[in-house]
Amino acid sequence: MNAVLLAVLIVPVLGILAVAAGAWAGNRRLGAVLGTVFAGVGLFAAVALGFDHSGRPWTRITEEWVPQLKLSFDIGVDGVSYPLVLLSAFLTFLCCLYTAWKGTERGDALIALLLATNVGMLGVFVSYNLVLFFVFFEIVLLPMFAIIAGWGGPARRRAAVKFALYTLLGSLLLLVGIFVIVTQAGTGDILALTESGGGGLSRGTQLLAFTLLALGLAIKAPLWPLHSWLPDAHTEAPTVGSVILAGVLLKMGTYGLIRVAVGVAPEGARQAAPTLAVLAVVAILVAGLVCLAQTELKRLIAYSSVGHMGFVLLGIATLTQAGLTAALIGNVAHGLITGLLFFLAGSVKDRAHTGELARLGGLREVAPGLSGMLGFAAIASLGLPGLAGFWGEAFAVYAAIQRDQTLWTVLAVLAAIGAALAAAYLLRMLRLVTHGPPGEAVAGMSGTGLRAVEVTSFVPLAAGALVVGLLPFVVQAPIGEAVSGILQAI
Amino acid sequence: MNDIQLPAIDYAALLPMLIVFGAACVGILVEAFAPRGWRFVIQVSLTIGGLVAGLVAIIVNRDLEITTIGGAVTVDGPGLFLQGAIIILGIVSLGLIAERRLERGGPFVAEAAHAANSDGDKRQEREPGATEVFPLTLFAIAGMMLFCVSGDLLTMFVALEVFSLPLYLLCGLARRRRLISQEAALKYFLLGAFASAFFLYGVALLYGYAGTVSLTGIREGVLQSEQSGILLAAGLALLAIGLLFKAAAVPFHVWTPDVYQGAPTPVTALMAACTKAAAFGGLLRVFNVAFETTAWDWQPVLATVAILTMVVGSILAVAQTDIKRLLAYSSVANAGYLLVGVVSLNGAVGSSLFYLIAYGFSVLGAFAMVTLVRDSEGEATHLSRWAGLGKGSPLFSALFTFLMLGFAGIPLTSGFTSKFALFSSAWDSDQSVLVIVGVLSSVVLAFPYLKVVVLLWLNPPGEETPTVSVPSMLTRAVIFAGVAVTFVLGVAPSFLLDIVADAGPFLAK
Amino acid sequence: MDGYLGSYATLGVLLVVAGAFFVVAYTANRVLRTNAPSAAKSTSYECGLDPAEGSDWAQAQIRYYVYAFLYALFAVESVFLFPWAVVFDGLGMVSVAEMGVFVAVLALGLLYAWRKGVLTWT
Repeated sequence: MNAVLLAVLIVPVLGILAVAAGAWAGNRRLGAVLGTVFAGVGLFAAVALGFDHSGRPWTRITEEWVPQLKLSFDIGVDGVSYPLVLLSAFLTFLCCLYTAWKGTERGDALIALLLATNVGMLGVFVSYNLVLFFVFFEIVLLPMFAIIAGWGGPARRRAAVKFALYTLLGSLLLLVGIFVIVTQAGTGDILALTESGGGGLSRGTQLLAFTLLALGLAIKAPLWPLHSWLPDAHTEAPTVGSVILAGVLLKMGTYGLIRVAVGVAPEGARQAAPTLAVLAVVAILVAGLVCLAQTELKRLIAYSSVGHMGFVLLGIATLTQAGLTAALIGNVAHGLITGLLFFLAGSVKDRAHTGELARLGGLREVAPGLSGMLGFAAIASLGLPGLAGFWGEAFAVYAAIQRDQTLWTVLAVLAAIGAALAAAYLLRMLRLVTHGPPGEAVAGMSGTGLRAVEVTSFVPLAAGALVVGLLPFVVQAPIGEAVSGILQAI
Repeated sequence: MNDIQLPAIDYAALLPMLIVFGAACVGILVEAFAPRGWRFVIQVSLTIGGLVAGLVAIIVNRDLEITTIGGAVTVDGPGLFLQGAIIILGIVSLGLIAERRLERGGPFVAEAAHAANSDGDKRQEREPGATEVFPLTLFAIAGMMLFCVSGDLLTMFVALEVFSLPLYLLCGLARRRRLISQEAALKYFLLGAFASAFFLYGVALLYGYAGTVSLTGIREGVLQSEQSGILLAAGLALLAIGLLFKAAAVPFHVWTPDVYQGAPTPVTALMAACTKAAAFGGLLRVFNVAFETTAWDWQPVLATVAILTMVVGSILAVAQTDIKRLLAYSSVANAGYLLVGVVSLNGAVGSSLFYLIAYGFSVLGAFAMVTLVRDSEGEATHLSRWAGLGKGSPLFSALFTFLMLGFAGIPLTSGFTSKFALFSSAWDSDQSVLVIVGVLSSVVLAFPYLKVVVLLWLNPPGEETPTVSVPSMLTRAVIFAGVAVTFVLGVAPSFLLDIVADAGPFLAK
Repeated sequence: MDGYLGSYATLGVLLVVAGAFFVVAYTANRVLRTNAPSAAKSTSYECGLDPAEGSDWAQAQIRYYVYAFLYALFAVESVFLFPWAVVFDGLGMVSVAEMGVFVAVLALGLLYAWRKGVLTWT
């Protein structure tokens, strides 16, 4: 399985080279197709990676790199990371396919950047070394910056720079946290640190380390009040950029919180958990209220992400088996559903040339296929039982109640109210976009039917949301086992 | 009178410096006697030959640890490493100094003293430049080498002057934009002279306190002296001002942007890489050897200077509209990071040395690329002129982007590994506040770098975008070296980290 | 004149007296002096020479600078040579060679200056 694990990381790199070769040969179309093929091979490798899950962790490769900086090439997968590895490879493949098929301008370059982002994201998910984790964390920044800045909407440059600066700030706080751990504990091995309950660091050091790590990761996640880069970046990014941003990039934050912050500084996590939970619930409520007042489609979806990630963070803050499992399932569900929502929003904007809710409306009559998909995605997003969104959010609330303390119970109730708010704003969005008489922008739409490229991108995501919703144990089983490993140390 | 003893001189230990000084003297003879047409070729080969021979001598000496000429010179691990670093960076920057394809007659004029825009000045703009720049560069490099291994403060002062004076002159020799070049030279000279005076006053007070000017003597004297502690504090403060001036630390940095902008770009590159290495070599030695035992007294002050330097340098870099000034302020901010290494004392010597090499190569590469963007007026350094260069010159823009990312400290560049090494060793030495300020300021500093990247790729080209000239092999080699080292030290820094770790602490006996 | 503020009262009186002295002296001067301004009195004073005509800058001949420079150079050289001359026979040939190098380096500068034509008077 080691070869497969390496292939997961290397195949996208080969894809970038293939795109470059295509550009060299003057055939950009060929480059785009080759890039997509490599993304597909990468997805295949990611799927294959899951077949052998007997080991603990399933697969692991350890090579020295720069011992002086405690950096080693130490990668592997287990139940916590595998769903995200799969999600990342899956969404990247869909985005590449979408780009290549649609014939986006400079599509080959966009595909190369998507693949580069993918390398970084996969690297984050498979790193078992703190410094390596950080290296991959930073690698994601640039291609994403270029995607927003190169293919985004009218205010793209501002959004891109804002994204880059927030992310840099976050990653450097993360870096300081890593300094604390690495210099005090003398190792960067995440698994060893988790097993020893934080490498024997004192309570104070752990709290400091956790705070720094959590701050850095919370910007990425994003946690209220550090979220303000997200609406701009999501709104301005091209469709595939938004899909990757919402679908995978945010998960680097929450995954990092579980794997790195909680895993490496459990004592600090315990002390900081109530604060984290309060902020998470505030995020849920604020995002819900803001969404109720949003006037732009992509911005609304972006803010809804803040709310959904709030549930994930609440789940993490409970530090219980149910909470962490819920958080990881919520991650996957949000990746599928919000990815789908952004694809749909992109299709709507492509046709109507606006995302203003006031100018849309009546999509149901003009483009029934599109509006049906939008309805499905919105309902999945609001957490209807039987669809993916339900499990993560319901169990995050359940885990909070399970803590059986006044604070947590209050938080659980408030989060449940937030879930109701989510239902309210998503239904409002549906009413404004799909129902009513066709707005001027919708009435003038051309090509109302779903195109083949769109069907190919939407259906797998919708199917995924359905599978996770109906058979949650598919993801729950491996996650639960790995989570208990992390929790044992606490 | 026969009780005078000649101090023992270990010529082997001095050999690297003697070679470079000797080559400089021969260079002057060449200037005096060689026929005009041959001078350029002879000088270039002589200079490079001298530097390479010096480097070989350093490598031969690599395990040497000795104090010689009555304590005036202390050759030890860090000292040899710094000497080697200065020579290597010097060889690389020579590629820029010797470049003659970008500008007819090279980047220098023959006489600095012609009044700007006078008839004589206009005439010399069309004539081939002086070849005296080569001996001058050699003298500067040799002075820097001596500065890093000085065992007492007077030798250090002499070395300071030896490397400063040629630099003052070199600053005034730019072929284009003569007026700001002369302004740069004069400004650097006047402020440098003040700084030297401060340094010398500091030496005098410290002599009064400890009864000696040797670094190890002061280290002993601190423990035994019955003089007032004010002498020590005042002497140390004045000495530090002189050193911090050369290192371009806030508030002694005001010359940096003007001089970096006005000086011929090859000389700016030399100053940014080699002078920085020498200045920090001196700072590290003085504080680690002479004042380590009084660290409690000066660490808070120097930490404040470091914080100011990081914050002011990075904030002012944001507001710059000229690429050379931007790099100047970034060099100020980098001086701040290096000061963190100085404050952290012995724990961070190795990572500071590593940082100097990493930063030196990146900054040489960056300035080398600055020399390429030209219009009819010479180098086009205003940032607005760089807009949209990515369209016409993708390779140039890609390489420059890579260097900018290196400066911003993105992983897989030397900027990341060097900052990581420096900050983690500072954290180890309990300088957590400095590390946090350093990290936050590097976020601020990332903004101007990103701005340049956005400018290159995303802005529409201006009305008359300057062209990216095709340089000779020399400048190409410099750019290649800068980019390659930035990458290699980012991906596989282990070998150099081992070397700096082996260099060990400064010799304090 | 005692109590906490007493010593400050002394200081206050001194300040008042000083101020009064200044005012009285300058007033007396103004009242008693004769007043006859002329153009020559407002020119700058230059050690008995006529002030430079035309502009504020006076040019000195650059040749003097070269001579001053050479003088300083060889004066400094002799400062090192004299004490060495007193003791060198006890120090052996090594010190002779070293002093030779020192003089040679200075001579090198002179040689360079000569070849560049700095030493010609016109």
